[in-house]
Amino acid sequence: MIKDTFNISDNNFEQCLKCTVCTVYCPVAAVKPEYPGPKQSGPDGERLRLKNPDFYDEALKYCLNCKRCEVACPHDVKIGDIIQAARIKYSKKKPGLREMMLANTDIMGQMATTFSPVVNLSLGLKPVKAVLDGVMKIDGHRTFPKYASQKFESWFKKTAQASQAQYKNRVSFFHGCYINYNYPQLGKDFVKAMTAVGYGVQLLEKEKCCGVALISNGLIDQAKKQAELNIHSIRRSVAEAGIPVVGASSTCVFTMRDEYPHLLGVDNADVRDGINLATRFLYSLVDSGKVRLAFRDDYKLHLAYHTACHMEKMGWAIYSISALRLIPGVKLTVLDSQCCGIAGTYGFKKENYPTSQAIGDSLFKKIEALAPDYVVTDCETCKWQIEMSTSVPVKHPISIIADALDVEKTIELNRR
Amino acid sequence: MNINSESQFDAIIIGGGATGAGTARDCAMRGLKVLLVERSDFASGATGRNHGLLHSGARYAVTDHESASECIKENMILRRVARHCVEENDGLFITLPEDDLAYQAKFVESCRAAGINADIIDPAEAKRMEPSVNPTLIGAVRVPDGSVDPFRLTTANVIDAKIHGAVVLTHHEVVGFIIEQNRMTGVKLYDYGTKQTKEYRSKLVINAAGIWGHHIAELAGVKVNMFPAKGALMVFGHRVNNMVINRCRKPANADILVPGDTICVIGTTSSRVPFEECDNMYVTREEVDLLLKEGEKLAPALASTRILRAYAGVRPLVASDSDPSGRSISRGIVLLDHETRDGLAGFITITGGKLMTYRLMAEWAADLACKKLGVNEKCRTADVPLPGSREEDKAPSKKVYDMSATATKAAEGRHGFMTEKIKAESLSDKAVVCECEEVSVAEVDYAINDLHVDNLVNLRRRTRVGMGTCQGELCACRAAGRLAKASKCAQRAQDDLTHFLNERWKGMYPVAWGHTLSEIQFTSWIYEGVYGLSASDNK
Amino acid sequence: MKFDTIIIGGGLSGLACGIKLAESGKRCAIISTGQSALHFCSGSFDFLGYVNGFDVETPASTLEKVIPQGHPYALMGAKRAVEVAAVVPEFFARMGVKVNGSIERNHYRITPLGIMKPTWLSLDDFTVIADKNKLPWAKVSIQNIEGFLDFHTAFIADNFEKMGTTCTITAFNLPELKHLRTNPTEMRSANLAKTFENVDVVKRAAELINRNAGDAEAVVLPAVFGLFDDKAVQELKRAVKLPVCFVPVIPPSVPGIRTQIMMRRRFQELGGTYLLGDTVNDAVVADGVVKSVKTANLGDTVLEADNFVLATGSFFSHGLVAHPDKVVEPLFGVDVKADADRDNWYNSSLFEEQPYMSYGVIVDDSFRTATGGNTISNLYAAGAVLSSFNPIKEASGAGVSLITALHVADLIINKK
Repeated sequence: MIKDTFNISDNNFEQCLKCTVCTVYCPVAAVKPEYPGPKQSGPDGERLRLKNPDFYDEALKYCLNCKRCEVACPHDVKIGDIIQAARIKYSKKKPGLREMMLANTDIMGQMATTFSPVVNLSLGLKPVKAVLDGVMKIDGHRTFPKYASQKFESWFKKTAQASQAQYKNRVSFFHGCYINYNYPQLGKDFVKAMTAVGYGVQLLEKEKCCGVALISNGLIDQAKKQAELNIHSIRRSVAEAGIPVVGASSTCVFTMRDEYPHLLGVDNADVRDGINLATRFLYSLVDSGKVRLAFRDDYKLHLAYHTACHMEKMGWAIYSISALRLIPGVKLTVLDSQCCGIAGTYGFKKENYPTSQAIGDSLFKKIEALAPDYVVTDCETCKWQIEMSTSVPVKHPISIIADALDVEKTIELNRR
Repeated sequence: MNINSESQFDAIIIGGGATGAGTARDCAMRGLKVLLVERSDFASGATGRNHGLLHSGARYAVTDHESASECIKENMILRRVARHCVEENDGLFITLPEDDLAYQAKFVESCRAAGINADIIDPAEAKRMEPSVNPTLIGAVRVPDGSVDPFRLTTANVIDAKIHGAVVLTHHEVVGFIIEQNRMTGVKLYDYGTKQTKEYRSKLVINAAGIWGHHIAELAGVKVNMFPAKGALMVFGHRVNNMVINRCRKPANADILVPGDTICVIGTTSSRVPFEECDNMYVTREEVDLLLKEGEKLAPALASTRILRAYAGVRPLVASDSDPSGRSISRGIVLLDHETRDGLAGFITITGGKLMTYRLMAEWAADLACKKLGVNEKCRTADVPLPGSREEDKAPSKKVYDMSATATKAAEGRHGFMTEKIKAESLSDKAVVCECEEVSVAEVDYAINDLHVDNLVNLRRRTRVGMGTCQGELCACRAAGRLAKASKCAQRAQDDLTHFLNERWKGMYPVAWGHTLSEIQFTSWIYEGVYGLSASDNK
Repeated sequence: MKFDTIIIGGGLSGLACGIKLAESGKRCAIISTGQSALHFCSGSFDFLGYVNGFDVETPASTLEKVIPQGHPYALMGAKRAVEVAAVVPEFFARMGVKVNGSIERNHYRITPLGIMKPTWLSLDDFTVIADKNKLPWAKVSIQNIEGFLDFHTAFIADNFEKMGTTCTITAFNLPELKHLRTNPTEMRSANLAKTFENVDVVKRAAELINRNAGDAEAVVLPAVFGLFDDKAVQELKRAVKLPVCFVPVIPPSVPGIRTQIMMRRRFQELGGTYLLGDTVNDAVVADGVVKSVKTANLGDTVLEADNFVLATGSFFSHGLVAHPDKVVEPLFGVDVKADADRDNWYNSSLFEEQPYMSYGVIVDDSFRTATGGNTISNLYAAGAVLSSFNPIKEASGAGVSLITALHVADLIINKK
């Protein structure tokens, strides 16, 4: 039963009925006149580019790749994919030093964590910011996320790895660059939550940055290499050992599941279903009755959930929201889903800063007016943007759950 | 009845297809005082209802050597003189497992004999060159086929005829002739705009009305034995192929797939139809099924490609005078001097032929006209580029408001160097009317002002407005707004809008399933449901 | 995941059904492939505008006399249809959507071309016109926004003048709109509305409008105000000294999008789960009962419910799919009313009655679908996916969507 309403072949752009719905939900088109908009850049442009590649317009670089056009499209046109694929195929602009620096999150992170006090200090210094702004065209309003003094991986191997063998269930954790270099605490929270419900955590055989920043900065060959390496590791875990891969970052997970095959041509069909998001994984365990959670009585907070673009695209906000609603002491406000404007490295570029802030403006105002204890989101770059643009601190739902968890009681509930 | 006394023409040319426009241009370039009349719009007959294939002649090489060598000569000429109407795509003649590969050798030999470069290439190489081609092919020949846009070609000829002094009347129908002592001295024209009939005098009348030439000849009291041959074609939503794909076998139904501008076209079928049907062509379900079935053999991707519409044209086939039964029909050019043939002086018919040989047909007709008028001028149309393809027309750009890069590129594809005439006077003129084909307000206004555009169908032929994926869903109303502004008559523009949408539907319903049906349902919701247009507005 | 009712389709009927169910405490989920046809709504809701080409003045009393067998209104009974219709204004009011009009007597709406069409309810933005042949003003000032192609002033003026109303046409301009005008395609209604979300811009527009109005009795403006709520509409009407007559424009429809947003907000506030950009791609049906569905985004998460509602719309929304040789309902393959011979699907004149318009799924008098003639006892259908009515020729589309959706909700609520 069921099937085949929509075509996902190379002809997908033809499903566009020119209804213009996508243009309503494009966060960029309304504020950036240079951007031709999703309809023109996507299905309409694709038709012209098939006639003559010269119809490629470099202004497609202003697309945030938020995929909100795709979510809105009543006809399942992969508008965002069409635009990004066109950039990859036709753009003649070569990435510069800035793009290399912004895109290579793991190399930068590797260097930075080693010298983190120096780097954190210097990235915050005015002269350094001036250089970044003036020479590198990285906007001076931006504060780079601080680098941790100890990588998550190092902590895990030193502190947590040995004790994981006691659990009969397993997950492979794709920690991503952010947890590894900037915010190991989220990784620790993940380990805390998973082990509490009886799931041991292991690292992937090898892990590289998912490549999202490489893709958006035009470093496609490198992105593809990293994608292949990651999929190889994932395959070892999912296909060979039967252990699901779980990531905390919605963007990493989305990139590995969907951008790998759609934009990089890296086939992941055999393991795609085995790549999961932390909140989805955890909530599905609870929903299916496989595990139970117990929360502290004294945990009382007002949280506002922000749906990151890639969460919206994956349609998975329901899991994070449902998971947060499990916590009795949480008052949860779900913010209307909208783009915060950062889009990974996009908002760090000097030329995009005003666009980036204009896009997020109404979101920031809503957050300030609501004044919750925390904004909660599954995406680390949304966290940076909201923290840079509002006075409200931002946490990942897994951190909230880890904080709220009555660990002993939970362990007890899940011991059979 | 009014008599147009203002002038006496040397030649009145009947028919605004490629042949008529070409003849008008040729005659005007030789210094004749020319009137070109068209009962509806340029390229509204067979000219605009074919593949748009710039034949190399290879298709005819085996069966009709003369046509083949005419084609390749004209092909090379058009590449020079009509650059902006031509896409030099090259073509493949493929042999499929069900075809006889032995035909290939004969084919190549015949091509070469006609002067057509035909190179056998490896099937793997063919797949590399044209990834959409049926991958099961067992043989491939590369030939210098291409695409030609018949609307642009005709318009360019008209523009140049006017530059050389020709008077051009569209929406004027010949309703009678003035014949004095066995000599034709003028025509009676009904003007659909003013609803009046007027007489126009001239020394010579040239019938270049395609299949409708049959009726024109009858009006003049002479008989030309024509046989309407219908050919149905189908347009797909985008360019599936970039090279023309043909079958390497004896010419048959639906064996040519031609890329043209943003789309590609499969065709044709061939069937005799009665004269009464020529004005109301429709495509049958059997024709659609046949085109699809055969088309998928050329490029399997067609099976999953959206079909925009189906249409049909009527070829004017002419029976030779010696055989009025019509059994031996020529596809070649037929030039009839009715003075020697029928004793009616001052009347010439140019017919038969094909889009590819329009220029040669015009040359023959103009040669005869000049001979009769005692004008000693040589034909120059093989050497002098058409407007749009002339380097010297490209003026240095000093516009304050340029069109967007995309709209400019799209317009250059349509108008060649004539794009310089499109002026965006304000920021608002940059706005895009037709989003599928990137037609700006400035381009629409240019067409309305300079290219004989009275209605949306005319506008579509000049600019591709409404020819894209949505078939007018978004742009028709915007374009109608510009026409209302130009004509200062909103009611007329509103009626025209109804008419235009109906005209689009006519091509869509034979293929209205899948996305095509979704699209037309959406269009109906908008125009009938939300806007409140109705059939009764089309009185 | 378990719900009381899962509704497939998030447009007017899906949302209405979901809201009504949620209002009575049911736990509902709506799955919507993308944004709905409300994005092209005129701003009015038709119930029954025409019978045999003639305007219907009194829909309630006319319906009982003329309704053909099999028509969705007939399935529930004309009395019941009118009864449901009577409570719709109150239903809308509960979500903050203000409408004017009555089921007892149709009024007229002004179309984007200035043509008059009979209708049932109009959003409060719009002027309710009582007389088809006469506007309430002797002279109006039609004012466009400079460079906006989608508001058809010449047509409106022409049709108004035929009714004896004198028109002047002007256009106003504001510096805040320049960024839209710079972009050749994105000066669209929704992007204009986003600019007019700023109250200061609305105030300045009102000043210009007042200045241009001259001695007119009313100003006619494009309906491009109030995207997320109706604040901009209220502000404009307050600041413009003359009565404001909004006329809808080329899609997207700003009042329609606002209605969609407000309905969705209401549904979610009532605890409903709205899954946007997701498509049902699997269903388990056994013994004439739908057990569960799965979606493209949620993957292996099984969505169970007691009842399911098919509110997937017509061909445009892929609730129905036409193949060259048949018309199918693609999700469940339920029985469809459609001619087997494609030659009978169309009329060769676009504006004549098109048979395909009344194709749709077959339901029993409890609006339950069937496969092979066997009723699926918990799969209901509502809205445009239904057969045996022509939304365009009858001007009944919105009415059928709303009335059948509310009726189906009642059937589910009252189910034993």
